[in-house]
Amino acid sequence: MDYKTGKPNHIEDYLVTVRTGQWFGWSDSKNKVYANLIVHDGGSKPTEQQCTDGLKALQDAWDAANG
Amino acid sequence: MALSKIDVANMLTGATPVANGGTALTSGFKNGITNATQWRLTTSFSGDGDHIDSNWEQVDTTGQGILGSAMSESSGTFTFPSTGIWYVEFYASYNFNGDARFQEAYINIASTKVAQQYAFATNNGESGANYSNASASTTVDVTNTGTQTVQFGTTHSQSGSNTNGESDKNRTFATFIRLGDT
Repeated sequence: MDYKTGKPNHIEDYLVTVRTGQWFGWSDSKNKVYANLIVHDGGSKPTEQQCTDGLKALQDAWDAANG
Repeated sequence: MALSKIDVANMLTGATPVANGGTALTSGFKNGITNATQWRLTTSFSGDGDHIDSNWEQVDTTGQGILGSAMSESSGTFTFPSTGIWYVEFYASYNFNGDARFQEAYINIASTKVAQQYAFATNNGESGANYSNASASTTVDVTNTGTQTVQFGTTHSQSGSNTNGESDKNRTFATFIRLGDT
C-alpha cells in the first residue's frame, strides 16, 4: 500500500485479506508479480483475475471512504 | 612547544597498529564486535505469526552490509555462526484499520519466549490503515550454536491486523550483534 495515504496499490494488499498467517510469499521478493506468487500452506492460490479484482475492490473502498 | 606527534613504534613491544602508521591489522581490542547483521521480513501477512516461519531475507539493499559470518535461517529459526554473547533485537511494524488492544512482538530462545513487547493501535476515528510498532530485545549467551537458536513472532488481539514486510527496506526486521565471548 501507499504508506503515506494507506491506499492499497499492490496485489499483496489483497492477498493479506484472503486468509490469515504466512500463507503466501514470492519466489523473487524483489519482483512481486503474480507469476512469482507462491503458496506456503498448501491451500488454494487465487487466480490472477481474483488478485486484480480484489485489489480494485480495496481501492474502490478506499476511494469511497476518502473522497 | 606543544607535543603534536609521538613515535609510538619506539614504545611498543608488538607491531604498531595501522592507525598509528604501523602494519598491525588488529584494533588492539580483544574480543571486540566481530559479527553484526540484519534480517527482514519480505512479505506482509495478516494475523498471528507464531512464530514467523517464512519470508525472511538477509538485508541486501545497496548500502546495507554485514560484519563477519552470517546467521543461518531455516523456517524462521535462526542459528548463530559462533558462540558468544549476542545482542538480538526484533522490530515489528504493523498496520491496522481500527483500534487494536495489542500487537505483540516476541523473541524465543530455544523455543522459549524470553522477550516480548506490545504495541497499541488506534486510528483516532480516521479511516484507513494506521501504523504502530513494537520492539523486543535480549542478550543471548550462546554456548551451543546447535541448540540455542532464536525465533521471532507476532500476535494480534484483532483480526485484520497486519505485520508489514518489504524486500527493499527494513520494516519488520531482526538485528544480531555479537558483543563478545561467552
